[in-house]
Amino acid sequence: MSQEIINADVKGAQSNAIKCLNISEKKVGLFVTCLVNTMRPTVGFAAIKLLEDAGCTVDVPESQSCCGQPAFNSGDDEGTRQIAYQTIKQFEAFDYVVVPSGSCAAMIKKNFVEVLKDQPEWLARAEHLASITHELLSFLVDVCDFEPSGVELEGSYTYHDSCSGYRSLHVYEQPRKMLANVKGLDHRPLHGHSECCGFGGTFCVKYSDISNEIVAEKAENVLATEADYLLGGDMGCLMNMAGKLNREGHKEIEALHTAEVLAGLAPQILGGKNASK
Amino acid sequence: MNKQRNEISRERIFDAIRAAAPTVTADVKAIQAEAADILRESEFARPDLLADDAADALVQRIEAGLVIGTSCEHIATMDALPNAVDQFLAKYALPKALQVQRIERLQKLNWGSLSTEVDIKNDNTVGLCWAEYGIAETGTFVVHSGPDMPILLNYLPLYLIAVVPRSKILPYMDDYALIANEIAQRGETPRNMCLISGVSGTTDIEGVLIQGAHGPEVLHMIIVEDQ
Amino acid sequence: MQANKPENFYQNVKDALAQPDLKMIIRRTTDKAEAKRAEAIANFPGFENARKQGQKVKDHTIKYMDHYLAEFEKNALAQGTIIHWASTAEEASKIVLDICRQHEAKKVTRSKSMLGEEIGLSHALDNSGIERVETDLAEHIIQLAGDPPSHIVWPAMHRSREDVIKLFREYHKDPTYSEEIIDLVRSARRDLRTKFLTADIGISGSNFLLADSGSSCTVTNEGNAELTITPPKVHIVTAGIEKLVPSMAHAIPLLRLLTRSATGSEITQYITFHNGAKRPNDADGPEECHMVLVDNGRTKMLADGMEEMLRCIRCGACMNHCVVYKHIGGHAYGSVYPGPMGSVLTPHLNSLEVANKQTHACTLNGRCEEVCPVNIPLPKLLRSLRAQSWDKKYEPLTNRFVVKAFAALAKRPMLFQWVSSCGVIFMKLCSRKGWIRSMPLAGGWTRNRDLIEPESKTFMQQYKAMKKAKSDGA
Repeated sequence: MSQEIINADVKGAQSNAIKCLNISEKKVGLFVTCLVNTMRPTVGFAAIKLLEDAGCTVDVPESQSCCGQPAFNSGDDEGTRQIAYQTIKQFEAFDYVVVPSGSCAAMIKKNFVEVLKDQPEWLARAEHLASITHELLSFLVDVCDFEPSGVELEGSYTYHDSCSGYRSLHVYEQPRKMLANVKGLDHRPLHGHSECCGFGGTFCVKYSDISNEIVAEKAENVLATEADYLLGGDMGCLMNMAGKLNREGHKEIEALHTAEVLAGLAPQILGGKNASK
Repeated sequence: MNKQRNEISRERIFDAIRAAAPTVTADVKAIQAEAADILRESEFARPDLLADDAADALVQRIEAGLVIGTSCEHIATMDALPNAVDQFLAKYALPKALQVQRIERLQKLNWGSLSTEVDIKNDNTVGLCWAEYGIAETGTFVVHSGPDMPILLNYLPLYLIAVVPRSKILPYMDDYALIANEIAQRGETPRNMCLISGVSGTTDIEGVLIQGAHGPEVLHMIIVEDQ
Repeated sequence: MQANKPENFYQNVKDALAQPDLKMIIRRTTDKAEAKRAEAIANFPGFENARKQGQKVKDHTIKYMDHYLAEFEKNALAQGTIIHWASTAEEASKIVLDICRQHEAKKVTRSKSMLGEEIGLSHALDNSGIERVETDLAEHIIQLAGDPPSHIVWPAMHRSREDVIKLFREYHKDPTYSEEIIDLVRSARRDLRTKFLTADIGISGSNFLLADSGSSCTVTNEGNAELTITPPKVHIVTAGIEKLVPSMAHAIPLLRLLTRSATGSEITQYITFHNGAKRPNDADGPEECHMVLVDNGRTKMLADGMEEMLRCIRCGACMNHCVVYKHIGGHAYGSVYPGPMGSVLTPHLNSLEVANKQTHACTLNGRCEEVCPVNIPLPKLLRSLRAQSWDKKYEPLTNRFVVKAFAALAKRPMLFQWVSSCGVIFMKLCSRKGWIRSMPLAGGWTRNRDLIEPESKTFMQQYKAMKKAKSDGA
C-alpha cells in the first residue's frame, strides 16, 4: 500500500501545539518514563541535551516514577488514579512537561482526565497538566521550532511510528523533519510504518504468541528496507523490535531512539555496542 | 403470536431505553428540527458528480466503467426502443425473445419480430423494464413494485435492459429520498423501492468478482430523451 | 467445523496460530479490503465530513431512541407489518420458529443477517426440521461446510477455492466439474434458483430501519435479499433495535460510509426499501410481513455508558485493519462478531464473564477507531470493559498481583527508583554481550525475543550523581 494512501488518514490531523517565542524563560520538566529510566538512560540525557540546545531550562524531578499505563490498560482505574494524583502534583507547576515517549505522553495527556472525570477539582488539574504535556520530538519542532545542527551520521534509517504518538498525538512530520538535518543520513520508508509492532505494554506478555507473530512480520518489513538504523520515539516499541531482530540473528541493523541520533550520541552508543560484541 | 409475551418484551425494552442515562425524551418538534439540521450537512459530505447535468453524469459514470457490468446508450424517442433491443440481442447472440414489463408505454411499441411477454424461464431470456428514476451519483436506476412491476423481473434474468427517462434522472440519492417522501405524503408508497446500480455480483470466493451471482450478469441502460 | 466458544479464547488463539495457512488466507481478504477502502477514501474528499454526519445521525437516533422506536412501530403497523418484540436471543429465535410453524413452513430461504446468527437462528431452524437455505453465496458455502462465520462481511473468507470445489461437487444437484470461480458461482446460481422460487418463508436481516416509514432497507451486491423476500408468502425481518435511523434521507449518509468502509465500493448494486406487505394488486411480493425487533443486550449497552457502540453499521473495517485479527482470524474470538467491534459487543450480547479475555487481546493501537466510519472509540470502550472486568475480578490472580504490585511501587517514587536500580543489577547479571536471552520472571518476553541489556545505573542514579558532581565542583 502506498505511503500517500496510508498517510491520508493522518493528513489534516495536525498537532495544535502553539509555538513558544520565549522558551528560555519557561520552566520545562522532563518526565523520564520507566523504560528510559531503567533500560536506556541515554535517551533521557539525549532529551535534556536537545531541550537545552533548543533553549530550554530543564528540570528533572527526582521523585518520579511511572505514568500509570500498566494499571490503566489493565482496567485498574483506582490504581491509575493514585498514580495520577502524584504525577499531577509533581509536574503541574511547570510551564511545559516533556516526555521522550509517545505512549507515556498520551497517557498523561488523554487518560488522566478519563479516570478523574468524576472528581471536578482533580479533573481541572489533570486538564491543566494535559495541556502543558508534550511528546519530546513534537515539542522540539512544534513549540521550540528547533532544528538540530552539526549532527552527522553516515547511513540510512527507517522509521517506525509508534501507535500512541502517531494516532493520539500526531507525531509524524516532526522526527522526519529533524532527521533530515543529520548529515550523511538518508531515509528508507518502512512498509507499514504506522502498523502496530505488537508491543502494546502488557499485551506482549499476556498474549506473547500473538505479539511474536506481529513483531516477526514487523521485523521482516524492517529488514526489507536494508536500512542501517531502525529509529522511533518509543522505547517499548524499539525494545520489542530490536529484541526480535536480535533473536533472529540480525546484527546488521541497529535500533536507536530518535533523540539519541539527534543529540549526536549515536556514534558513542554504536561504538560501545561494537566493543561488547 | 403470544400477545402477552410480546407486550411484556415491548415494555421491558422501552423501559430499559427510558431508564438509560443517555437517552432523552424531548418534544417532537425539537427532535425533528435536530434531525433536519443533520441533513443540511449532506451538501459537503457527498462525492462530486462527473458532470453538471445529472443525465450526463450518469452516462459518464457508466462509460467510465464504474457501474459493474453495465453499458448504456441514448435513444431520442420510445419508437427507437425495439430496434435498440434487437441490436442488444444480436450483440450477445441471444434468442429473439424477451419479457417486457406489462405497462402500456412498453407494450404498445412495435416489437416486430421479437417475441415478447415470455416468462423468464431460462437464463438466456432477457428482461426489459421501465425505470421510475435514475440517480447519477451511483449509476442507479430505480423501480417501484406495483400491479405492473413484478420485482422479480429485475432479478431473474441473466440479461436486463432498463429504460430510463432522461427527465427523471436525479443527481443524488438524497434527491430520491425527497421524492420518496413526497410519495409517502400522498399515501402511495409502494411495497418495494429498488435502487439498482449494476449487476448481481459476488467476491465471496477468493475475493474474485463474478457477475451474475443470482441475478443479472449484464445490464444495459437505455436513456430515452423524450418519452 | 465446530464453533469455538468465547470462553476458550486462549486455546482458540493457540489453535489459530498453529494453522500454517491461516495468515495467508486472512490476508487474501484483509489486504484487498484495506487497499480498496484506502482507494475509495482517496477518491472522496468529503469523507471526513461524511463521517461526522454519519456519527451525528447515529448519535441523534440513539439519544431519542424511545421516540424513534415508537415512531417506527407505529409506521410499520400502518404499512401492514406485524411487529414482534424480543428481549433476548432465545426469544427472538422462538418467535421466528413460531411464525414458521404457524405457516407450516417446510423450507425457508435466508439472506445474510449477522443478527440472525447472533440469535442462533441457524441452529434453531436446523433442529426444528425445517429446511434452511442460505442464499448469500458465502453463507451458502459455510452452511455446506458446517462452519461458523469468520468475518461479518465475508463470512466464508477462511474457505479456499479448493474447499468450495469439493463442497459444491458433494452437495449441488447439478454441480460443475470446472475449477473456474465463474463456474462455481454459476453452480450455486443453478442450485439456489429453484429454492428461491419454492420457499415457504423468506427471512432477511436489515441494514437500516427507517422510523418515519416503518421500513427496512437491505444492502447487497448479489440481489439475493430480493430473491429471498419476494417469492414466498411470508417475509420475516430480524433486526437489532440499533439499526434505527430517522428516515431514508438519514440512511443515505450511512450508506455512503458503509459501502466504502466495507468493500471500497461507492455503492452496492442492490439497495431495496421494504415497506410492508403486498399492496392490493401487486404483481408479486409476500402476503405477510413480520419484523422481529431484538434487544439482546443493546439496552444494556445504553445503560452501561457504551452507547457509542450502537453506532456500528457493521462494515467490518475495524477487523480488516486490526493487527490482532489479521494474525488470529475470526474463529478464534468464538463469537458471531470478531475483531474489535466483536470484542466490545460480545460481552454485552453474551456476558463479560465469558468474553472478557478478548478485550485484553488488543494493543490499544487505535487503528480500528481511525478507520471506523462513525468514529466509535473502540480502544476506549475495550479498556472500559477491562475496568469492569477488573472490578469483577475476572483477571487471573497472578496478573492482578503484578499490576497491583507495580502500581503500589509507582505510588512510592523513591521506593520505585530503588527497586528499578536493583532490577538493573539483576538484569546485568542475566546479560551476555549486550542482550538477555532468558531471565526469571520474564518468560513472556524472552520466549520469543531478546531483551536489551540495560546500562549499569538507572537514569535517575546517573542524573543525581551528575548533579552532585556539578554542585561539588561549583
